[in-house]
Amino acid sequence: MPPSSSSSFTRPSRQSDYARFSPTTPIVIDNGGSTFRIGWAGESDPRITFRNVVQRPRHKATGDAVTLVGDQDPALMKYFDCTRTSYRSPFDCNVVYQFEIMEYVLDYGFECLGANSEVNHPILMTECICNPLSSRSKMAELLFETYGAPSIAFGVDAIFSYKLNQQYGRCYEDGLTVCSGFSTSHVIPIVQGEPVTKACCRTNIGGFHITDYLKQLLSLKHPQHISNITWEKAEELKMEHCYVAQDFASELQQFQKGNEDAKEKTRCWQLPWVAPTQGEVPSEEELTRRAALKEKQGQRLRDMAAARRSLRITELENELNGLENLSQQLDEVDEHDVSSILAGTKFYSRQEIESNIIRLTQSLRKAKGEPIEVEEKNDASLLEKYPLASVPDEMLTPEQLKEKKKQIFLKTTSEGRLLAKQKRLEEESIRERQNQLDEEKRLENPELYLEQMHARYRELCERVEQRKKPKTNGNHNLLGGVGRGERLTAAQKERMRLLTSAAFDRGKGEDTFGARDEDWQLYKLMSKDNDDDDNSLDEEEAELARVTCRLQANDLSPLPQDIDPNFVPRSDLVPIPGGTTEFQKFRPQTAEDFQIILDVERFKCPEVLFQPNMIGIDQAGLDEMAGISLRRLPMVDDSLKAEMSKSVLVTGGCALLPGLLPRLEAGIRQLRPYLSPLKVVRASDPVLDAWRGASRYANSPHFTLQTISIQDYYEKGESLLRQYQMKYTI
Amino acid sequence: MEPEVASSEMVLPVVLPFKRVQMSDKYPKGQSRGRQWKHLKQILQAENYASLPADEPNYLSIESPPSMYPSKKYCDITGFEAHYVDPRTTLRYANPGVFKRIRGLTDDQIQRYLALRNAVIVLR
Repeated sequence: MPPSSSSSFTRPSRQSDYARFSPTTPIVIDNGGSTFRIGWAGESDPRITFRNVVQRPRHKATGDAVTLVGDQDPALMKYFDCTRTSYRSPFDCNVVYQFEIMEYVLDYGFECLGANSEVNHPILMTECICNPLSSRSKMAELLFETYGAPSIAFGVDAIFSYKLNQQYGRCYEDGLTVCSGFSTSHVIPIVQGEPVTKACCRTNIGGFHITDYLKQLLSLKHPQHISNITWEKAEELKMEHCYVAQDFASELQQFQKGNEDAKEKTRCWQLPWVAPTQGEVPSEEELTRRAALKEKQGQRLRDMAAARRSLRITELENELNGLENLSQQLDEVDEHDVSSILAGTKFYSRQEIESNIIRLTQSLRKAKGEPIEVEEKNDASLLEKYPLASVPDEMLTPEQLKEKKKQIFLKTTSEGRLLAKQKRLEEESIRERQNQLDEEKRLENPELYLEQMHARYRELCERVEQRKKPKTNGNHNLLGGVGRGERLTAAQKERMRLLTSAAFDRGKGEDTFGARDEDWQLYKLMSKDNDDDDNSLDEEEAELARVTCRLQANDLSPLPQDIDPNFVPRSDLVPIPGGTTEFQKFRPQTAEDFQIILDVERFKCPEVLFQPNMIGIDQAGLDEMAGISLRRLPMVDDSLKAEMSKSVLVTGGCALLPGLLPRLEAGIRQLRPYLSPLKVVRASDPVLDAWRGASRYANSPHFTLQTISIQDYYEKGESLLRQYQMKYTI
Repeated sequence: MEPEVASSEMVLPVVLPFKRVQMSDKYPKGQSRGRQWKHLKQILQAENYASLPADEPNYLSIESPPSMYPSKKYCDITGFEAHYVDPRTTLRYANPGVFKRIRGLTDDQIQRYLALRNAVIVLR
């Protein structure tokens, strides 16, 4: 299956012949759940068609909120900030409830139609059957008062479609129309040209549910590609690849057995993917070239470092010389002039100068690479700095005592710091030694070293995972509770015991919880996230990270190649299915991982129309609805029912699904008496026939008798709307 | 407004010549209008069909009853016919291989599979 090209987008173009139509020409609107169609009565196609949604993003440049109706050119959407907005539809199920959105849609529709002055034409609009009165009256109010329409009429789209097909001769005066729309499906019996509303039947399943089901199934099957599986993409897939199985159970069997037919029916969607270039084993020249390059880079770095170091050394030496001169000056000069000289510099006392000299000499030595002298001086200076610390208490005055306390504190902290420094030095030396040993091992036997590293890596991985596992004992309880027959681990048992004992009500006066500090440790133990082995877990994770680095590392060492060019860290791998989580094997990613397979979903999703139980909607499917509708008919005349069965029309967007008609026919045949006549036809154009039927209806001379005029509306108001029922045979 | 955006006429103009009341006057800026509109359930409640004569068809009376055919159970993961149910998660499965996979699922995946079937129990 070739990768799908970006859907070609065409915007409805603005019409320019609005003024050409006389004020008696009605405007026909098919206000559908998925698309909005508007045009002139008498024409064969609607002028304007667009998706019945509105979004209100912010224009990035100006910052205002603008209104965009329908689908937009994706290239232009970059000028708008759509992060906090979404598509909004005026419909809730098949009833219009958000009239602000409806107004935006109508605005756009009329504007594209070319309206410049008042909408001075009668309007014929479609609605759902048995539309609630409040929705109908709000729509009437909108059309009359905001748009100034002189008269309006409401009709049901499915019946318009039936009437049109009746005129084409595909169905007859008495029949059944099965209309499967965007959010609902209806079965409406038609007797003597008029619908029998009492016997109508509606299930809340439509194209929307099929697409949504497909989207959810694919997202669950391929969670890593969830961002590619958008609603629009799912609709595309549905329209291109979904079909209705003639016999659902046997289709499933075919796929379960893995027949040849099943393989043929499987479709595969390849997402764009580029293989990571592993590269072939580089040749000798390649290796030497790379080694030379690395050497050069290393040399360059070393030169830079050396230059920097020499610069620093000269700086330090200069400073040191300056300070030594200063101290010499102070030596030579008298006491009185000392303070004046000192005032000129930034030092306050001789000791400061001397300590600075010492510091500088040390840094100089370090920069030159000589070992630092052991700071024995510090011990002596410690005692000097804190003279009072060693003097026993009785010999001191109270202020001196305070001094002494301060000095003891300072002494212990500086001692502590010394100890810490020593420990750090020791650890570093140990690590250095380890690294050297490692390097030696690696240099002498690369293969063995590699094996060992791999083994260590695997071991660490498993151990880390194992540590994380016992927490849940392999349980994935929905609500964290324990199901029937569950065994608890020791940790879980202990926790339950704590919880119950803590909750046990010992009565007033006996509860001493909280009196001691250790009581509150209970909560730590109770907490589910408590990890006693936190420390060791972190250690292991750190080692894991180190080992991963080593295995991946690109050395500047004399070795011409990386340690292990084939090593791929765990996150880039894909688990081989079939194993349990404990013993999963991994393999690197391939092109197959970026393929989305549609096999069972192709016919499972449209099956929802016939078995709404599959998605949890407890209503009858399409075929059963026909039977229910026939049963609900008030007259018990069997011959009439037989007549009607000969003229069953399937219309609505979902009628385009291949295989729907034979399946529906088989389903209805099950409900009808044996060998009674049955004929199911599809509307000539299931999507546009509703609008076309309405257009022809509005064009007929008696249409004006079926409309509500604005004067009637103001006089009689809601009661008129309540009683309003269109007659379809005129 | 960028030239290509303006020329494509994609944005709905704020003022339209054929309207008696403009949107900005009808819905002044700053008020949240989301709560103004009643959802279908509320509309139907307000309609109060019980008080109307019962033989007239209304939105609720047309609704389909539950199906007469016993519902077939399908595997939640693979889609084949499911003869077994996992007691811990109440997911349906078709064969032991699928069962192993179910036991390896995370909590949120389980919830999503159940939500497909409208079988999630939410405690609030």
